[in-house]
Amino acid sequence: MPPEVRKNPPDKDQNAEKKIQQVRELFADAPDLGKKALENVLKELTSQVSAPPPPIESAGRVGARLGKRSELTIIVPLVPGGAKRLRTFLQLLGGNLSPGATKVGTLHDMRFVFFDNDTRMLFATSFDGDWDVYIDDFIALIPDYLDLMDSAWEGWPGIRSPGAKDYLVKHQITAEGWFVADPDLTLAEIERLKRLGKAADEFLDKVA
Amino acid sequence: MQTEAGKTTATEQNSLVEEKIQKLRELYADAPELGRVALEKGLPDLRRELGAATGAQTAGRIGARQGKVSELTGIIPFAKGGAKRLRGLLQALEGNFRGGDAVGTLHDMRFVFLDYDTKLLFATAYDGEWDAYIDDFVTKIPNSMDLIFCNLEGWPGIHSSTVKDFIANHQVAAEAWYVASPNLTVAETRRLERLGKAADEFLDKVA
Repeated sequence: MPPEVRKNPPDKDQNAEKKIQQVRELFADAPDLGKKALENVLKELTSQVSAPPPPIESAGRVGARLGKRSELTIIVPLVPGGAKRLRTFLQLLGGNLSPGATKVGTLHDMRFVFFDNDTRMLFATSFDGDWDVYIDDFIALIPDYLDLMDSAWEGWPGIRSPGAKDYLVKHQITAEGWFVADPDLTLAEIERLKRLGKAADEFLDKVA
Repeated sequence: MQTEAGKTTATEQNSLVEEKIQKLRELYADAPELGRVALEKGLPDLRRELGAATGAQTAGRIGARQGKVSELTGIIPFAKGGAKRLRGLLQALEGNFRGGDAVGTLHDMRFVFLDYDTKLLFATAYDGEWDAYIDDFVTKIPNSMDLIFCNLEGWPGIHSSTVKDFIANHQVAAEAWYVASPNLTVAETRRLERLGKAADEFLDKVA
């Protein structure tokens, strides 16, 4: 069968034009290089806006999700001395968080960043699925690690406190833009593919 | 054989771990009570963790790396009107920035507006070296970069000779960085995805 030629319905095209118009107006007062860049990418942008990939959705209570992958971005004020404690702790671990973190089977990546002269900390992760389920995993699987880290956070009630989730929600900021290269791959699926890849390599070694 | 040497190293390793634990106890002496309790409770796990090989590496000029995957975290003030423009742009794209695919080494990327729209947090996970990664942005999606970053205070333009300095100056290296699959680059993940699809199709046929 010949490949089906898909055309955007007229209302979709119109919608795209409207959006492009909005972006043009938005960039009317941008620096020159921004305006120039806009004209350069407009063609590409038209196709993306009219045939958009799946839009980002909510990860549940807070946070953005693309496909199966969500983001958590928390910014908290640190207690006096908290940054020093936490930094030394992290240094003693040699930056190696794996033994604790691998227990949370839905966690793709995680970073700890101190800023504003050690008065604030950014805690940012990428994970699978729903916010509540993910936080429950942290609470159930590595509660002590969390309290060790978070005892540097101003006002942290303790992971076993009923107020823990509210504290996290209050300090989380939902991303306005969120990109994931493989939005359909959960960590479990990646593990399955890794095993498959290994098996295929072994098989090819044997028949070679 | 390495057995003898291995034993010595293990003993040395143990005393090093005990030394580290002692240091942690001192460090947490003035921590809130729940932090101190957590330290005592977590000691068995911590012993193992402290004994494990160091995982921290550098991504090159700035940033942390684990295995093949690095982190970039930038916090940059918005130019006047910049937050409004960038938000509008992201909303038109429904928050999804597919240009990221063209970079080829980008795992994930987030745009977060901080401190009442005065600063942008830009955080990514990517493959390999800082310099090569920034070069990828410069050569593959220069216009998208200018479109996004012209909204930030002092952005010199993607083709400027000082653009790398600008990025490095606003980057804050992570103190700790964890990646679940540190050996999987974006390219390798794609290869496995294709392999998985082929295997599924094969199994469907023979079933």
